Amino acid sequence: MIAYLKYLSERFVIFVATIFISITTVFFVPRLTPGNPLSAVFSNLAGVGGSLNAPQLIEEYNRLFGLDRSLWEQYVSFLRELVRGNLGYSIGSFPSHVSDMLRSAIPWTIGLLTVTTLISWVLGSLIGAVVGWRGGKSRFVQVLVSVALVLYTIPYYILAIILVFLFAFYWRIFPLSGAYSVGLRPGLSLDFALDVLRHAALPALSMIVVSLGWWFLSMRSLITSLKGEDYILQAEAKGLSERRILWGYAFRNALLPQATGLAISLGHIVGGALITEVIFAYPGLGWLIYNSIKGLDFPVIQGGVLLIVFSVALANFAIDMVYPLIDPRIRYERTGRG
Amino acid sequence: MAEVRVEAQRGYARELLRNRKFLIGTSIFLALLAVAVAGSLFVDPVQRRTGSFPVRLPPGPGAPLGTDSLGRSIAIQMSEAVPNSLQVGLIAAFLGTLIGALIGFVSGYFGGAVDAVLRILIDVFLSVPSLVFLILIASLVRGVGVQTMALIIGAFAWPSPARQVRAQVLSLKERAFVQIARLSGMSGLEIIFRELMPHMLQWLGANFVNAFISAVLAESGLSLLGLGPQREMTLGMMIYWALSYSAILQNLWWWWLTPILALMCLFLSLYMIHLGFDEASNPRLHSQV
Repeated sequence: MIAYLKYLSERFVIFVATIFISITTVFFVPRLTPGNPLSAVFSNLAGVGGSLNAPQLIEEYNRLFGLDRSLWEQYVSFLRELVRGNLGYSIGSFPSHVSDMLRSAIPWTIGLLTVTTLISWVLGSLIGAVVGWRGGKSRFVQVLVSVALVLYTIPYYILAIILVFLFAFYWRIFPLSGAYSVGLRPGLSLDFALDVLRHAALPALSMIVVSLGWWFLSMRSLITSLKGEDYILQAEAKGLSERRILWGYAFRNALLPQATGLAISLGHIVGGALITEVIFAYPGLGWLIYNSIKGLDFPVIQGGVLLIVFSVALANFAIDMVYPLIDPRIRYERTGRG
Repeated sequence: MAEVRVEAQRGYARELLRNRKFLIGTSIFLALLAVAVAGSLFVDPVQRRTGSFPVRLPPGPGAPLGTDSLGRSIAIQMSEAVPNSLQVGLIAAFLGTLIGALIGFVSGYFGGAVDAVLRILIDVFLSVPSLVFLILIASLVRGVGVQTMALIIGAFAWPSPARQVRAQVLSLKERAFVQIARLSGMSGLEIIFRELMPHMLQWLGANFVNAFISAVLAESGLSLLGLGPQREMTLGMMIYWALSYSAILQNLWWWWLTPILALMCLFLSLYMIHLGFDEASNPRLHSQV
């Protein structure tokens, strides 16, 4: 138990450090670029036609981030506003709050990401375990491995573009873009749910297929390397059924590094998802950031970046906390004591 | 000692040259490079301008890979895009591996408080999607060129090599030859460069290829988001232009398919080179994959 607590506190330090370092980076990067810290904001104001409210907006930003004060005071006030959840105003659609814009985008991203990541991780791990356990170098396995390798090497958006061409343009099975049909009112009806699923199908498929290859390959090699372990041999000697050895012994032990793999690649997955959203005009964070880049709306980009970093750090910490629970050694230790 | 090391490296090189994946990967990579270089040698820069060709020509005798909606030849765009994308990969991978190796060496070799701080730093930057920091910086530094973009990407490419190098140094530093070097009065930096570095070169090779892949990936990702070098052509920018002129809907398949195929070939070749490095430095892997 003490080991568990020590481990948790170590992971907590990393979690806090991640948040702190990212916030600090986000604060200092704009101030290191030449000119006024918010020069990006000011110089872009004229270009977006939002000049009507410009004086108000500039005054508001001066107050919010205390630009007339010392750097340290600015930093403290930046942190204080962040804690309150105040990310400032959008330039492109002033006087909308950045936090409100993020709030309407995040459910789409989280929904898409969680579902696709879970499906591909579980499915890839299961197939990888079976194929790895059977072993052998049959033609089928060789083809499967090469396909997985090719899928793993290509980025999400390449597959996304190919899928759009095939299923939305050529065969017209799925819609080209968006999260639901224009004119449909978001609500809790069956029609709306089906429409959302139909729109999510292609983005989800492109993300699932690509990451499936990786989880399959990694689980396959994990299981293959576990096969000669003493506890597997002993289980075989005891006469346990093949199925029990695979799922109860080999698979459970392979789950640990597989979960670590998920934690490590979460950042990459999120990055890929942001760009996939752009290709499908899917109204999540990636699409919001893309439009803010086009509209030179720096506060929204900054808010989106902070939110993504925070979510990834939180998800990582959550995986870290669950990790010991699936580790049979730690479980054993606990029941041994308690 | 030195002779043994040279012998070991020769064996490594032989292993690498006998590795099928490495050879196939290198051939594809070199072919891509050769086509691009040959193209850029024979292309008149004036032909890169918009309107040099009739618009939306399918692949044919006039334009071997067709033209886009702005009257630019896809083949000529490729002759500029492939070298530029490779340049981004090369610069960023070099910078990232260099910074990463330094941090990893210092962290692993000196240990203690330095290591504790650097380890947290490595863990933090490994877990955060570097793409979002790149988005932040690229959206502030508008109108970046290919080289600036490569530098920005490289500045965030160090965590993964740093972690690998740190782990290697930790396992190497207790070996006898390092102990002897220390006893004979070599300084820490001297040991790092003269004793540890040669052992790490193979690892750095695989890391370099990895960083190369991530850098090209980051370049195309940023370009797709509209943050790429607007006045120059990269593979990512080609896809960006194709998508912003809805090439898919207009059925101009040659426009979007060409850069995508090139990217796929590039990634596949780099990944095979990476596998080759891995297998050559660890022959046991050979039987597994």
